[in-house]
Amino acid sequence: MSGLGRRKIVNIVAMSLASACAAAGLFLLLVILYDVLVEGAGSLRLRLFTQDPAPPNIPGAGGLRGAFLGQGLLTLAASVVGVPVGVLGGTFLAEYGRHYKICRLISALSDMAVSIPSIVIGTFVYAVLVKPMGGFNGWAGAAALAVIILPVVLRTTEEMMTMVPWSLREAAFALGAPYCKVITSVVWRSAMSGIFTGVLLAVARVAGETAPLLFTSFNSNFFQLGLNRATPSLTVSIYQYAASPYETWVETAWAAAFVVTFLVLLLNVAGRIFIKIKKVG
Amino acid sequence: MDDLLAVRNLDFYYGDNHALRDVTLPIRKNSITSLIGPSGCGKTTLLRCFNRMHDLYPNNRYGGEIVMDGRNILRDDEDLISLRNILGMVFQKPTPFPMSVFDNVAYGLRLKSVRNSSVLKEKVERALRQAAVWEEVKDRLNQNAAGLSGGQQQRLVIARTLAVEPRVILFDESTSALDPISTQKIEDLMVELKKDVTIVAVTHNMQQAARISDFTALMYVGALVEYDETATIFTKPRHKMTEEYVTGRFG
Ligand SMILES: Nc1ncnc2c1ncn2[C@@H]1O[C@H](COP(=O)(O)OP(=O)(O)OP(=O)(O)O)[C@@H](O)[C@H]1O
Ligand SMILES: [Mg+2]
Repeated sequence: MSGLGRRKIVNIVAMSLASACAAAGLFLLLVILYDVLVEGAGSLRLRLFTQDPAPPNIPGAGGLRGAFLGQGLLTLAASVVGVPVGVLGGTFLAEYGRHYKICRLISALSDMAVSIPSIVIGTFVYAVLVKPMGGFNGWAGAAALAVIILPVVLRTTEEMMTMVPWSLREAAFALGAPYCKVITSVVWRSAMSGIFTGVLLAVARVAGETAPLLFTSFNSNFFQLGLNRATPSLTVSIYQYAASPYETWVETAWAAAFVVTFLVLLLNVAGRIFIKIKKVG
Repeated sequence: MDDLLAVRNLDFYYGDNHALRDVTLPIRKNSITSLIGPSGCGKTTLLRCFNRMHDLYPNNRYGGEIVMDGRNILRDDEDLISLRNILGMVFQKPTPFPMSVFDNVAYGLRLKSVRNSSVLKEKVERALRQAAVWEEVKDRLNQNAAGLSGGQQQRLVIARTLAVEPRVILFDESTSALDPISTQKIEDLMVELKKDVTIVAVTHNMQQAARISDFTALMYVGALVEYDETATIFTKPRHKMTEEYVTGRFG
């Protein structure tokens, strides 16, 4: 009887603690979102998307169109490299390489790579790409983002494919399918929604990264189609504008922050909705 | 009586685990052979030797031979892809692929490079009819196969196996997860299929073995205890163990 009472009390205490922590986290998140929403939406103007940056303290002028384009190009280039390499690498780890020790090691290292601070990746790419190439450029920025995407996509793919039961593969083998066919037509298909979600979350993550870009693509006030020179990005622009003493720049930073937050949120929500639909359907 | 397959002095090892010991038995053409025996005696292991399923995993080893058309199919240079086209397999749990009903049945045909859509349609329909599931799925050919009931899925899987026109179908407790009505349908189907294919079926259900099979083999700890016509096995077996097993006093 007293044992039961004790367990009930422990249960209540544990539950209250967990709830309090969850509430604290949620509270902070809501405060941030509220701030970004109120300040950002208030400063949002159409010229943000259509004009080039203006000198400080000229009210009613200046936008970040170059940064929008640059962000898009950087994210796209990073995804074009990081996603296929990650998916194919993860496939190798889950299938052909599953019995090799070296592959288990690669999985473990990728897990670590997921949690490397992104600024470290930025400085690494600075050393191997920016310095030898003689200056900041968009390709280096894209490379840094790709390095962040790669282990996330690799591990998600591997895990999602490992979850597909062997009985399904056996059924395909039993029909005379070669291994590559079993993978592409049965395993990938079963793991597709999980892999797709992982890709979406990885892309969403790099779309909001600043640190790896500071040492690689840096920033630029010029509108340009291409990644050969220093390339503007929203996140780095926000970082620089927000830290400036000029009111017009701080306002622009808020507006840009609003747009970035909203886009990343959208990608995340899209990813999650996609899992739901796939599970139900 | 024609032997389609001859198992001769077959040994099988999972690494160090000697799972089959010197098994010798014939598989007669256009008949149903049941493999029975207590859990863990090696029925599945034997069945999976026929289509070389064990080759998917490392450290598995065969000894002895299984002869088909005068050739040992356990040879190292055997072409497993064409072998598995000739010997189809149906597992215990239904294994529909995550695609439409039609694509499931067309899967093996497409692997064999059948691309012509009218040929595909015709063969898919024929296989589904043969597997006695056409009437139930004909209006949902384009829906995901996961939406079918367990019994329908199992018949779909049989249709998928039949579509590539195998000469042998290996069933591994393929009705044990199904309700009596689905089981009945699949049993009828197996008997019907004897015209075209040879069947080897693992079962724990003695009535099922007695009802549908022509020959029965009893196994015990990796070895063959007795093989004979089903009627003989169930009425006047030579071994005491067989009698005890089929009457349910043992195992
Ligand atoms: N992958 C494996 N690795 C090692 N040993 C195995 C493996 N699969 C089966 N065995 C062993 O081989 C023996 C025969 O197993 P098998 O699965 O063929 O039995 P079974 O007759 O099909 O049993 P059940 O009626 O329970 O399905 C068992 O002792 C089992 O433990
Ligand atoms: Mg078994």
